[in-house]
Amino acid sequence: MRRAVSQIEPPLIDLGPVNQILDLCRAMSLWPMTFGLACCAIEMMAVGMARFDISRFGAEVFRPSPRQSDVMIVAGTVSKKMAPAVVRLYEQMPAPKWVIALGNCAISGGPFAFEGQYGIVEGVDQLVPVDVYVPGCPPRPEGLLEAIFALQEKITGRRWWPQPVEDKKA
Amino acid sequence: MQFDWLHAAIILFLLAGVVFGIGPIIGSLLLAPKATGGDLDLPYECGVPPHGAAHVRFGINYYFYALLFLAFDVDVLYLFPVSAVYVGSRGWLAFWELVVFVGVLALAVIYFWRKGVFSWPRRIKP
Repeated sequence: MRRAVSQIEPPLIDLGPVNQILDLCRAMSLWPMTFGLACCAIEMMAVGMARFDISRFGAEVFRPSPRQSDVMIVAGTVSKKMAPAVVRLYEQMPAPKWVIALGNCAISGGPFAFEGQYGIVEGVDQLVPVDVYVPGCPPRPEGLLEAIFALQEKITGRRWWPQPVEDKKA
Repeated sequence: MQFDWLHAAIILFLLAGVVFGIGPIIGSLLLAPKATGGDLDLPYECGVPPHGAAHVRFGINYYFYALLFLAFDVDVLYLFPVSAVYVGSRGWLAFWELVVFVGVLALAVIYFWRKGVFSWPRRIKP
Protein backbone atom coordinates (compact mmCIF):
# COMPACT_ATOMS: atom_id res chain seq x y z
CA MET A 1 0.00 0.00 0.00
CA ARG A 2 1.37 3.37 -0.97
CA ARG A 3 -0.05 6.88 -0.84
CA ALA A 4 -0.92 8.60 -4.11
CA VAL A 5 1.92 10.72 -5.50
CA SER A 6 0.50 13.68 -7.37
CA GLN A 7 1.88 17.19 -7.45
CA ILE A 8 -0.39 19.87 -8.84
CA GLU A 9 1.30 22.83 -10.48
CA PRO A 10 -0.60 26.11 -10.83
CA PRO A 11 -1.77 27.14 -14.31
CA LEU A 12 0.48 29.29 -16.51
CA ILE A 13 -2.08 32.11 -16.50
CA ASP A 14 -2.72 32.37 -12.78
CA LEU A 15 -4.99 35.42 -12.51
CA GLY A 16 -7.64 35.85 -9.83
CA PRO A 17 -10.68 36.74 -11.97
CA VAL A 18 -9.84 34.14 -14.64
CA ASN A 19 -9.52 31.48 -11.97
CA GLN A 20 -12.81 32.53 -10.39
CA ILE A 21 -14.70 32.14 -13.65
CA LEU A 22 -13.02 28.83 -14.45
CA ASP A 23 -13.61 27.53 -10.93
CA LEU A 24 -17.29 28.35 -11.27
CA CYS A 25 -17.39 26.43 -14.55
CA ARG A 26 -15.55 23.51 -12.96
CA ALA A 27 -17.84 23.45 -9.94
CA MET A 28 -20.97 23.38 -12.10
CA SER A 29 -19.72 20.58 -14.34
CA LEU A 30 -18.07 18.09 -12.01
CA TRP A 31 -17.55 14.84 -13.89
CA PRO A 32 -17.38 11.94 -11.46
CA MET A 33 -15.56 8.73 -12.20
CA THR A 34 -17.69 5.59 -12.52
CA PHE A 35 -16.15 3.93 -9.54
CA GLY A 36 -18.42 1.83 -7.35
CA LEU A 37 -16.56 -0.39 -4.91
CA ALA A 38 -19.36 -1.74 -2.74
CA CYS A 39 -22.98 -1.20 -1.73
CA CYS A 40 -22.63 2.61 -1.50
CA ALA A 41 -22.33 2.48 -5.28
CA ILE A 42 -26.02 1.50 -5.40
CA GLU A 43 -26.82 4.82 -3.73
CA MET A 44 -24.51 6.54 -6.19
CA MET A 45 -26.47 4.94 -9.05
CA ALA A 46 -29.71 6.10 -7.46
CA VAL A 47 -28.32 9.64 -7.40
CA GLY A 48 -27.69 9.36 -11.11
CA MET A 49 -31.24 8.22 -11.86
CA ALA A 50 -34.35 10.33 -12.37
CA ARG A 51 -35.63 10.50 -8.80
CA PHE A 52 -32.62 12.23 -7.30
CA ASP A 53 -31.11 13.33 -10.60
CA ILE A 54 -27.59 14.57 -9.97
CA SER A 55 -27.67 16.15 -13.45
CA ARG A 56 -29.65 19.05 -11.96
CA PHE A 57 -26.34 20.08 -10.41
CA GLY A 58 -24.12 19.37 -13.39
CA ALA A 59 -22.45 16.21 -12.15
CA GLU A 60 -24.23 13.51 -14.14
CA VAL A 61 -21.47 12.78 -16.64
CA PHE A 62 -20.00 9.65 -15.05
CA ARG A 63 -16.81 8.96 -16.96
CA PRO A 64 -15.41 5.46 -17.39
CA SER A 65 -11.85 6.82 -17.62
CA PRO A 66 -9.83 8.72 -15.01
CA ARG A 67 -8.39 10.89 -17.78
CA GLN A 68 -11.75 12.59 -18.20
CA SER A 69 -12.82 12.78 -14.56
CA ASP A 70 -12.80 15.65 -12.09
CA VAL A 71 -14.03 13.96 -8.96
CA MET A 72 -13.48 10.47 -7.66
CA ILE A 73 -16.42 9.25 -5.60
CA VAL A 74 -14.97 6.43 -3.52
CA ALA A 75 -18.26 4.60 -3.02
CA GLY A 76 -17.65 1.75 -0.65
CA THR A 77 -15.12 -0.47 1.04
CA VAL A 78 -11.54 -0.20 -0.16
CA SER A 79 -9.88 -3.56 0.25
CA LYS A 80 -6.10 -3.83 0.37
CA LYS A 81 -6.26 -5.69 -2.92
CA MET A 82 -8.09 -2.75 -4.49
CA ALA A 83 -5.91 -0.05 -2.90
CA PRO A 84 -3.20 0.05 -5.63
CA ALA A 85 -5.90 0.48 -8.28
CA VAL A 86 -7.51 3.33 -6.33
CA VAL A 87 -4.15 5.07 -5.98
CA ARG A 88 -3.29 4.55 -9.64
CA LEU A 89 -6.66 5.84 -10.84
CA TYR A 90 -6.34 8.92 -8.64
CA GLU A 91 -2.87 9.61 -10.03
CA GLN A 92 -4.17 9.28 -13.58
CA MET A 93 -6.86 11.92 -13.14
CA PRO A 94 -5.93 15.31 -14.62
CA ALA A 95 -5.78 18.38 -12.40
CA PRO A 96 -7.82 19.87 -10.83
CA LYS A 97 -9.14 16.78 -9.06
CA TRP A 98 -11.18 16.07 -5.96
CA VAL A 99 -12.16 13.05 -3.92
CA ILE A 100 -15.42 12.32 -2.10
CA ALA A 101 -15.32 9.52 0.48
CA LEU A 102 -18.86 8.11 0.38
CA GLY A 103 -19.96 6.07 3.37
CA ASN A 104 -18.41 4.83 6.58
CA CYS A 105 -16.23 2.24 4.86
CA ALA A 106 -14.49 4.83 2.74
CA ILE A 107 -14.16 7.17 5.74
CA SER A 108 -12.81 4.78 8.35
CA GLY A 109 -13.37 1.17 7.34
CA GLY A 110 -16.91 1.20 8.75
CA PRO A 111 -18.15 -2.10 10.18
CA PHE A 112 -15.03 -3.86 8.91
CA ALA A 113 -12.68 -1.92 11.18
CA PHE A 114 -12.07 -4.24 14.09
CA GLU A 115 -9.00 -5.49 15.86
CA GLY A 116 -7.14 -8.08 13.83
CA GLN A 117 -8.77 -7.41 10.47
CA TYR A 118 -6.33 -7.82 7.64
CA GLY A 119 -8.10 -7.05 4.37
CA ILE A 120 -9.56 -3.55 4.54
CA VAL A 121 -8.01 -0.11 4.24
CA GLU A 122 -9.38 1.78 7.24
CA GLY A 123 -10.19 5.02 5.53
CA VAL A 124 -9.42 5.97 1.95
CA ASP A 125 -7.67 9.11 3.23
CA GLN A 126 -4.71 6.85 3.99
CA LEU A 127 -4.30 6.56 0.21
CA VAL A 128 -5.58 9.74 -1.45
CA PRO A 129 -6.36 13.24 -0.16
CA VAL A 130 -10.11 13.40 0.55
CA ASP A 131 -12.07 16.65 0.13
CA VAL A 132 -15.56 15.69 1.34
CA TYR A 133 -16.58 12.93 3.76
CA VAL A 134 -20.16 11.65 3.59
CA PRO A 135 -21.10 9.62 6.68
CA GLY A 136 -23.74 6.90 6.57
CA CYS A 137 -23.99 3.18 6.02
CA PRO A 138 -24.91 3.74 3.27
CA PRO A 139 -25.58 7.49 3.07
CA ARG A 140 -28.89 8.64 1.63
CA PRO A 141 -28.72 9.84 -1.99
CA GLU A 142 -29.39 13.31 -0.63
CA GLY A 143 -26.16 12.92 1.33
CA LEU A 144 -24.20 12.51 -1.87
CA LEU A 145 -25.97 15.51 -3.38
CA GLU A 146 -24.99 17.48 -0.29
CA ALA A 147 -21.41 16.32 -0.82
CA ILE A 148 -21.51 17.72 -4.35
CA PHE A 149 -22.81 21.02 -2.91
CA ALA A 150 -20.03 21.03 -0.32
CA LEU A 151 -17.47 20.40 -3.04
CA GLN A 152 -18.90 23.22 -5.13
CA GLU A 153 -18.67 25.44 -2.07
CA LYS A 154 -15.08 24.38 -1.55
CA ILE A 155 -14.20 25.17 -5.18
CA THR A 156 -16.04 28.48 -5.58
CA GLY A 157 -16.20 29.77 -2.02
CA ARG A 158 -19.98 30.02 -1.71
CA ARG A 159 -23.00 27.73 -1.46
CA TRP A 160 -25.15 27.77 -4.58
CA TRP A 161 -28.26 25.88 -3.49
CA PRO A 162 -30.84 26.49 -0.72
CA GLN A 163 -30.32 24.82 2.63
CA PRO A 164 -32.48 21.71 3.14
CA VAL A 165 -35.65 22.29 5.15
CA GLU A 166 -35.65 20.41 8.45
CA ASP A 167 -38.46 17.94 9.04
CA LYS A 168 -40.66 19.44 11.78
CA LYS A 169 -42.51 16.19 12.56
CA ALA A 170 -39.42 14.37 13.73
CA MET B 1 -8.69 32.48 -62.03
CA GLN B 2 -9.15 35.32 -59.70
CA PHE B 3 -9.46 35.51 -55.95
CA ASP B 4 -13.11 36.08 -55.05
CA TRP B 5 -15.37 35.77 -52.03
CA LEU B 6 -15.71 31.98 -52.36
CA HIS B 7 -11.97 31.50 -51.88
CA ALA B 8 -11.95 33.93 -48.98
CA ALA B 9 -14.79 31.96 -47.38
CA ILE B 10 -12.98 28.65 -47.86
CA ILE B 11 -9.78 30.01 -46.30
CA LEU B 12 -11.83 31.53 -43.49
CA PHE B 13 -13.50 28.17 -42.81
CA LEU B 14 -10.14 26.40 -42.87
CA LEU B 15 -8.76 28.85 -40.32
CA ALA B 16 -11.88 28.49 -38.18
CA GLY B 17 -11.46 24.72 -38.28
CA VAL B 18 -7.82 24.95 -37.20
CA VAL B 19 -8.69 27.35 -34.36
CA PHE B 20 -11.59 25.09 -33.32
CA GLY B 21 -9.21 22.16 -33.07
CA ILE B 22 -6.13 23.77 -31.57
CA GLY B 23 -7.87 26.43 -29.43
CA PRO B 24 -9.04 24.14 -26.64
CA ILE B 25 -5.64 22.43 -26.48
CA ILE B 26 -3.82 25.75 -26.09
CA GLY B 27 -6.52 26.96 -23.70
CA SER B 28 -6.11 23.99 -21.40
CA LEU B 29 -2.30 24.32 -21.61
CA LEU B 30 -2.50 27.92 -20.41
CA LEU B 31 -5.46 27.86 -18.05
CA ALA B 32 -5.52 24.45 -16.39
CA PRO B 33 -3.41 23.40 -13.43
CA LYS B 34 -1.16 20.48 -14.22
CA ALA B 35 -0.86 17.24 -12.32
CA THR B 36 2.44 15.37 -12.36
CA GLY B 37 3.91 12.34 -10.71
CA GLY B 38 2.81 8.83 -9.98
CA ASP B 39 1.32 6.64 -12.66
CA LEU B 40 -0.04 9.54 -14.71
CA ASP B 41 1.95 8.50 -17.78
CA LEU B 42 0.82 4.88 -17.87
CA PRO B 43 -0.84 4.15 -21.21
CA TYR B 44 -3.52 1.99 -19.67
CA GLU B 45 -6.18 3.54 -17.48
CA CYS B 46 -8.21 0.92 -15.66
CA GLY B 47 -6.18 0.82 -12.48
CA VAL B 48 -4.43 -2.36 -13.60
CA PRO B 49 -0.73 -2.08 -14.49
CA PRO B 50 -0.13 -3.08 -18.11
CA HIS B 51 2.18 -6.01 -18.80
CA GLY B 52 3.75 -7.42 -21.92
CA ALA B 53 4.41 -5.70 -25.23
CA ALA B 54 1.82 -4.11 -27.47
CA HIS B 55 3.00 -6.20 -30.44
CA VAL B 56 1.65 -9.64 -29.60
CA ARG B 57 0.64 -12.52 -31.82
CA PHE B 58 -3.04 -12.75 -32.59
CA GLY B 59 -4.84 -16.02 -33.15
CA ILE B 60 -4.79 -17.23 -36.78
CA ASN B 61 -8.60 -17.38 -36.56
CA TYR B 62 -8.78 -13.63 -37.06
CA TYR B 63 -6.91 -14.11 -40.33
CA PHE B 64 -9.58 -16.62 -41.36
CA TYR B 65 -12.27 -14.09 -40.66
CA ALA B 66 -10.44 -11.43 -42.62
CA LEU B 67 -10.06 -13.64 -45.69
CA LEU B 68 -13.64 -14.87 -45.52
CA PHE B 69 -14.82 -11.29 -45.20
CA LEU B 70 -12.84 -10.52 -48.33
CA ALA B 71 -14.22 -13.55 -50.16
CA PHE B 72 -17.87 -12.85 -49.40
CA ASP B 73 -18.41 -9.22 -48.53
CA VAL B 74 -15.82 -7.31 -50.53
CA ASP B 75 -16.52 -9.65 -53.43
CA VAL B 76 -20.17 -8.58 -53.55
CA LEU B 77 -19.16 -4.97 -53.02
CA TYR B 78 -17.03 -5.02 -56.18
CA LEU B 79 -19.72 -6.81 -58.17
CA PHE B 80 -22.10 -3.85 -57.86
CA PRO B 81 -20.18 -1.57 -60.27
CA VAL B 82 -19.65 -4.60 -62.54
CA SER B 83 -23.40 -5.17 -62.73
CA ALA B 84 -23.89 -1.53 -63.70
CA VAL B 85 -21.32 -1.65 -66.54
CA TYR B 86 -21.94 -5.22 -67.72
CA VAL B 87 -25.13 -4.37 -69.66
CA GLY B 88 -23.23 -2.09 -72.01
CA SER B 89 -20.21 -4.37 -72.53
CA ARG B 90 -19.51 -6.07 -75.89
CA GLY B 91 -18.30 -9.58 -76.53
CA TRP B 92 -17.20 -12.22 -74.04
CA LEU B 93 -14.20 -10.36 -72.60
CA ALA B 94 -16.14 -8.82 -69.69
CA PHE B 95 -17.63 -12.21 -68.83
CA TRP B 96 -14.26 -13.98 -68.66
CA GLU B 97 -12.78 -11.15 -66.58
CA LEU B 98 -15.65 -11.54 -64.15
CA VAL B 99 -15.12 -15.29 -64.01
CA VAL B 100 -11.43 -14.82 -63.21
CA PHE B 101 -12.21 -12.28 -60.47
CA VAL B 102 -14.90 -14.36 -58.80
CA GLY B 103 -12.90 -17.55 -59.41
CA VAL B 104 -9.85 -16.32 -57.50
CA LEU B 105 -12.00 -15.34 -54.55
CA ALA B 106 -13.90 -18.61 -54.80
CA LEU B 107 -10.58 -20.43 -54.44
CA ALA B 108 -10.25 -18.88 -50.99
CA VAL B 109 -13.73 -20.12 -50.09
CA ILE B 110 -12.92 -23.62 -51.37
CA TYR B 111 -9.64 -23.59 -49.45
CA PHE B 112 -11.37 -22.78 -46.18
CA TRP B 113 -14.13 -25.21 -46.98
CA ARG B 114 -11.53 -27.98 -47.30
CA LYS B 115 -9.89 -26.77 -44.10
CA GLY B 116 -13.18 -27.25 -42.27
CA VAL B 117 -13.63 -23.63 -41.26
CA PHE B 118 -17.37 -23.74 -42.03
CA SER B 119 -18.14 -26.78 -39.91
CA TRP B 120 -17.99 -25.05 -36.47
CA PRO B 121 -17.28 -28.16 -34.39
CA ARG B 122 -18.55 -28.27 -30.84
CA ARG B 123 -15.64 -27.75 -28.50
CA ILE B 124 -17.50 -28.96 -25.43
CA LYS B 125 -18.71 -32.52 -25.76
CA PRO B 126 -21.99 -33.23 -23.96
